[in-house]
Amino acid sequence: MQWMTIFNAQSLESWRNFKWIWVPLVFILLGLMDPLTTYYLPQILDSVGGLPEGATIDIPTPPPTDVIMMSIGQFNMIGVAVIVLISMGAISGERKSGKAELILVKPVNHMAYITAKWASFSLLNLTAVYAGLLSSWYYVSILFENIPFTNIIISGAFYSLWILFITAVNFFMNTLVKIPGLVAFLTIAVIIVMQIFSQIFQHIIEWLPNLIPNYMIEIIETGNVPSELWGTSAVTVLLIVFLLIGASYSLKTKEMS
Amino acid sequence: MILLTQSAPQFFSDNLAILAPLIIIQLILVITALISLAKAQFTNGPKWLWALIIIFFNILGPIAYFIFGKDD
Repeated sequence: MQWMTIFNAQSLESWRNFKWIWVPLVFILLGLMDPLTTYYLPQILDSVGGLPEGATIDIPTPPPTDVIMMSIGQFNMIGVAVIVLISMGAISGERKSGKAELILVKPVNHMAYITAKWASFSLLNLTAVYAGLLSSWYYVSILFENIPFTNIIISGAFYSLWILFITAVNFFMNTLVKIPGLVAFLTIAVIIVMQIFSQIFQHIIEWLPNLIPNYMIEIIETGNVPSELWGTSAVTVLLIVFLLIGASYSLKTKEMS
Repeated sequence: MILLTQSAPQFFSDNLAILAPLIIIQLILVITALISLAKAQFTNGPKWLWALIIIFFNILGPIAYFIFGKDD
């Protein structure tokens, strides 16, 4: 009951801020960009010029999975940055302005407060990611080769876990510090550290959440879910649960002081 | 592969079906940003500057406004 109220309030606020319009649109644009630029690369090179007269360029057409993976690479760079930036003030901003105290002074469960807000932002992020993934898939199917639709949906489901994880990290940081900019910085720092960590210990660690995009290639190509991905998903879900519990605990202790 | 000799307007009209969604989505993004700007009471910095940024910077302009523009 209480949970739904907070969830609805947050969703309404995202709607009033036009987040429900612009975040999906940005992801759709990110998804369109790479199939289009790859397809029109010869024309783009030609119009930019600088090539000697009579030079012929032979660019092999990349396989469709590579083009989709380029789009996912965009989601992982710009998309994740957008996701982190839109929710950097979700709780920290309310704590700074005193709005969070107004809510939490009532008998509101801290866990409900955190998870409802997290769920609201996650719903927005996942809608955006799926919209982007589908637009990328549509354009790849038109301009390159057809990729089975189910492969995209399944790989998207696993990619969603990675997005949920990023949102959870962001909310944990939201309860640790009060400055929205610092929240965004800490979240991106965690992601980068994880990236470096998994690259150094590539041969030992197979189950870090940031490896999910790497495992998606196989699903998109063949439709089979690689066995490591199940372990990775389990670890990711556990980490999300821990982060949310940690966030509500940290919010509770912060409020006391 | 398409011949590289055609002119820009010709190329554009030939590929309209593929490029149209890209342009329409960018337009919607710009328009929502402008509506939001017109409605906003407080912005970080002058409003006319944000309007110029939204109109002249592709994609990044509206995103920048939505993330950093509002002061609420």
